[in-house]
Amino acid sequence: MKVLLVEDNERVTRFVTKGLQEAGHTADHADNGRDGLFLAASERYDVIIMDRMLPGNIDGLSLISALRQSGNQTPILVLSALADVDERIKGLRAGGDDYLTKPFAFGELLARLDALGRRTRQDGTVTTLEVADLRMDLLSRKVVRGARQILLQPREFKLLEYLMRHAGQVVTRTMLLENVWDYHFDPQTNVVDVHISKLRQKIEPEPEHSLLRTVRNAGYMLSAE
Amino acid sequence: MALFIRSSATTLSASYVLLGILALVLFALPLSYAWRAAVDESRLQILTEDSQRLAEVFGHRGPTGLVSFINERVGLQIAGERILLLTDSAGKELAGNLPAWPQGVTKDAGDYTRRIELDRVPTMVTMVSTELPGGYHLLVGRDNTRLAPVTTRFWYGLAAAIAVLLVSGVIGAILIRRALLSRIHSMRETVSAIMQGELSHRLPTGKSSSDELNTLSMTINRMLEQIEQLVHGVANVSNAIAHDLRTPLTELRSRLEELSLTRPPPAEAFAEVDAAVADVDRVISIFNALLRLAEIDTGMRRSGFVNVDLQDLCARAVEFYVPAAEIRDISLTFKDESGPMKACGDQLLLAQAVNNLIDNALKYTPPGGNVSVSTVRAGAEMAGIVVADSGPGMTAAQRDRATERFFRGDSSRGTPGVGLGLSLVDAVARLHGGVLEFADQQPGLRAAINFPGTK
Repeated sequence: MKVLLVEDNERVTRFVTKGLQEAGHTADHADNGRDGLFLAASERYDVIIMDRMLPGNIDGLSLISALRQSGNQTPILVLSALADVDERIKGLRAGGDDYLTKPFAFGELLARLDALGRRTRQDGTVTTLEVADLRMDLLSRKVVRGARQILLQPREFKLLEYLMRHAGQVVTRTMLLENVWDYHFDPQTNVVDVHISKLRQKIEPEPEHSLLRTVRNAGYMLSAE
Repeated sequence: MALFIRSSATTLSASYVLLGILALVLFALPLSYAWRAAVDESRLQILTEDSQRLAEVFGHRGPTGLVSFINERVGLQIAGERILLLTDSAGKELAGNLPAWPQGVTKDAGDYTRRIELDRVPTMVTMVSTELPGGYHLLVGRDNTRLAPVTTRFWYGLAAAIAVLLVSGVIGAILIRRALLSRIHSMRETVSAIMQGELSHRLPTGKSSSDELNTLSMTINRMLEQIEQLVHGVANVSNAIAHDLRTPLTELRSRLEELSLTRPPPAEAFAEVDAAVADVDRVISIFNALLRLAEIDTGMRRSGFVNVDLQDLCARAVEFYVPAAEIRDISLTFKDESGPMKACGDQLLLAQAVNNLIDNALKYTPPGGNVSVSTVRAGAEMAGIVVADSGPGMTAAQRDRATERFFRGDSSRGTPGVGLGLSLVDAVARLHGGVLEFADQQPGLRAAINFPGTK
């Protein structure tokens, strides 16, 4: 994935760029709004990471607005030290696709970038999702593993759907909280883990054929192998 | 004096006095006019009837008969009250109490109101002149001044009423002003004291809710409470940041310093680094919780209130925690005891508050116990969310301190958490005009967020 990072803090830049390269992505960097706008407009990126507070005349949000107005639809992840819910809404309203508050764990950033980068490639009209022998029919709301039908509660269905839509990607606990339960706060306890292990029991009667893996220091990943 | 005139109490009572005088005059003028018109009309009627009677006497008994009749009448009457005069065709007076046909009154039949000399005094008189057969002329009249004293008394009465109104107005103004000033003075002293930093002062208030000054004082007191709370909130947050972030930061610092000094083998070093990251995460979560609390305490989030379905919110929170409860062998249930319940509020904060209460209840309930969440309604005006558990409960002293920041019951030392959960619930409840209340339900704790005026 080709990523543009618009961020003025050197240490954060080094940390993110290095992490992205290790994960197999290429990263360009701009340390002010003007250069950021120039790069974003002249090159094609899969995803842009945008800090909200930038030196110079142009801040992150107006940069996003400018890009969107010029018809640029590259997914943008807004990075910000402003944690208020209102600030988050402002960021999304300006045209951002996701919002991450500083300080952040790199695993969280990477997982969100993956989700954003892949979103553009995914077709919104799919009616069935498949990972190995696990199949989900979104219309009849049926889930089967091999030949065996799995009965899920509505929320479990939503959880599995989210994991399957992001198959092969790391999904963090915060992402699950936000997207499955619509909880934009940290419940402090490991409730998400419990939901996952319950789901695991239902979809994986034999642990040796595990599809849903725990990724250390990051979250979960549903994948075929 | 200038101050007295400018005072709003004085202006107000002066306007009322003027208004009173105006009303009095507006009432008296038409009354006096109507009264006078009625008197004039009845006087004219009496005179006309008199003339007709005398004309009848003339018809029956001839001129001599009328002369003797008139003389008889004049002899009986008080001079000036009734004026009578009979003249022949030559204009010569035959009988009556007027020395001559008055000037300005023609011999044509009709009524006249003229000033004439009566006993050498010029007097306003109303007269009716009648033409009798044979060139005789009859004049019947009445002195108008007889009613003058009544008119005068009427005007004196009006003047006296105005005077009384003026005097009572001035006295009233002084009294009202004095009463107002003394109250405003005490308000001003309190406010001055508050301005000097003594935020605990409150304006004196009575019980009456219809007294405007009292209502104003109560409103100002509520505002002062809010301000005091905010100021304390800010102070608390800075204290909390100073005290409670220092502890994990100290741990973090010593961990890193030790690492740097001892230079342990990589495996051990990385374990230490991981622990350091966990320390930082803890600092961040405390920091976020404190900021969230401060944000709630400012009341700013009220502008974004929407209609929130509390039942749905509770049901979803319970659903979220059920698997975690099952693992600890606790039965977590949602009981709908209220029917549909909506509140105007912040969806996110209310959800977080309910989740915190459930989280708290699960944390303290021993395995095998139960936690129930319910929406309840007490009367039309009160509604609430209740989270009850079968845990050890809290002592009265613990209940009082439960919502203090970083307060943790002794029994909770070993459980995870930073001691901000219930502070947040309390702050959210207050933001929505409600209260967080704890009760002992033997065994267990019953925590309730009560909202007023929930639909």
